[in-house]
Amino acid sequence: MPMEVIVYACQQAVPDPQVLKAIWGRSDIHLRVLAEPCSSKVEAFQLLRTLASPVDLVWVIGCEEQICRYNEGSSRAGGRQAYTKKYLAEIGLEPARLGRSVMTPDDQAALAAIMAEIIERVRSLGPSALRRQPAEAAAGLAAK
Amino acid sequence: MPAKYHIAVRRVPPRYSPLAKNTIIDWSEGCLRCARCVKEVCPVDAYRKRGFDRTQFVDTIDEICRDCYRCVQGCPKELIFKAANPQYRHMGDEYWTPEILAATWYQAETGKIPVSGAGYGGPFSGPGFDSFWTDMSEIVRPTRDGIHGREYISTTVDLGRKPMFLTFDDLGKTSYTPPPLLELPLPILLGEPNLGPNPGQMQGILVQAATRLDTMAILGRHTMEPVSGEAARQVMPSYTPNALSLDDHLLSQVRAIEILDHPGVLKQMEAVKKRYPQLIISIKVPANGQVVARVAELAAAGAEIIHIYASERARGLGEFHDLHLKDVIRRCHLRLVEDQLRDTVTLLVSGGIALAEHVAKAIICGADAIIADLPLLLSLECRLCRQCSKDGPCPVQIEKLTVKRGAQRMINLIGAWNNQLLEIMGAMGMREVRRLRGEVGRAMFIEDLEKEIFAPLFANRQVETIKREPN
Repeated sequence: MPMEVIVYACQQAVPDPQVLKAIWGRSDIHLRVLAEPCSSKVEAFQLLRTLASPVDLVWVIGCEEQICRYNEGSSRAGGRQAYTKKYLAEIGLEPARLGRSVMTPDDQAALAAIMAEIIERVRSLGPSALRRQPAEAAAGLAAK
Repeated sequence: MPAKYHIAVRRVPPRYSPLAKNTIIDWSEGCLRCARCVKEVCPVDAYRKRGFDRTQFVDTIDEICRDCYRCVQGCPKELIFKAANPQYRHMGDEYWTPEILAATWYQAETGKIPVSGAGYGGPFSGPGFDSFWTDMSEIVRPTRDGIHGREYISTTVDLGRKPMFLTFDDLGKTSYTPPPLLELPLPILLGEPNLGPNPGQMQGILVQAATRLDTMAILGRHTMEPVSGEAARQVMPSYTPNALSLDDHLLSQVRAIEILDHPGVLKQMEAVKKRYPQLIISIKVPANGQVVARVAELAAAGAEIIHIYASERARGLGEFHDLHLKDVIRRCHLRLVEDQLRDTVTLLVSGGIALAEHVAKAIICGADAIIADLPLLLSLECRLCRQCSKDGPCPVQIEKLTVKRGAQRMINLIGAWNNQLLEIMGAMGMREVRRLRGEVGRAMFIEDLEKEIFAPLFANRQVETIKREPN
């Protein structure tokens, strides 16, 4: 079963989500891009539920904080990421399975760098413990 | 009077949450913890009922929310916003807009006419089917008119060749056998969409829907699953020129067939008619530069049904790629009127029929009936992502849909379309869909209005402005 990555992309930062798929160009890791009006649309419970779906990596792409269309949206999204990562660490899951990038809207070079970072991260992490056999996952959690 | 045609609609909830037009942005950080939070007074209780759709990775609050903006206006810290949902906006394309997709899903779910609310906020006119209006001046007694009225509105259409006059022998009996005629209770046939993850399953759904609607399902013969008995009577197999064999066992079971137009189609039709005289034959003609002449030629040579097919965006093909389907239909219809052949032949049209109003408008332009194709796929919750055409996975797993469920959603859609057709005809004062055909006198075309009314008015105003300028 191929690994799965979910990207929540702010529509200001990434006006055309298809660009991400074009940059991705890989068939061994499945990418799904969800356009959002602002990165702050994605709440902590949504990030956790997405990881529990289960997927191997969840990434949020937003605008740089000083140019956020909703003024505070990007900074709030950053705060949520930190909170969710802390929560993941508490329950014994890898906080690294959650990532966030900020960029200037429609910056193709930055976008390519972000996608390279996502690929690198998911390859280094491998499949999520939640995607493995339940017994194996339970054993992994018990060991931790 | 025959029994009223009734389509039995039944609510079929979607398997996947339909994407909402607007989305809520909820900044819970910095909340004042008011004693009475605006989220608690939500009239649809969206904040309590919200969940997470793990197949689409979306918050289900947007599906529940009715856009009343009570929470947005009421939060003292202004922590709740509503924004246009980009996932909704990215659906479909310029022709098959998100609004068309959402309206189709609603109709397929409920079988009801989609009502968008008070007033119309859209543009005055647009291209294609939006460039003309039906004359609804008869909508003066809503209790009598329309679908809930006392008067019966017939949506029955006849498919086949019709004689222009009768001839009798010395004994006063008709001196010939009348040609076979197929009577359908609604002017909508079901066509096979050229998209979709599982053609076999789609055919099963189409046959079941056509049987329950008492209409015809046009299916490609080369990909067709075996059908028999009652179901075969609702199927119109479509043949490519070389695929038609007179020994095909299906020819003795079905009531009508379709053949793709080719130079020898009339001879082929003659051979089929000789062996199967009760079979009605439709000739499928592309809406290209030769369509008008070809339709006239085929009608003069005795064609029974002519199916004109356009692109899925309701545009002609080849040299006619800029011409809208409505103009193609009008040209063909007027040519047949000119040749005094219009009443002899049945014209079916397909391609780009996306909404119920397009059915009525295509008929006004001169079609006898329409063939719905892509909307039938949309009724199965299709997002029109076109992944299936690239062998990609279907995001709503249409291939896992049961035939029964799919057929009911299709029936719901056609039921809603039929009700809208009845509403339009009731408001136009029409009591029979056969009389709507080519009735352009009951429609207003923007190009005519611009030429006859707006141009003289605005031209005069412009002259007056110029005259006043020196002062």
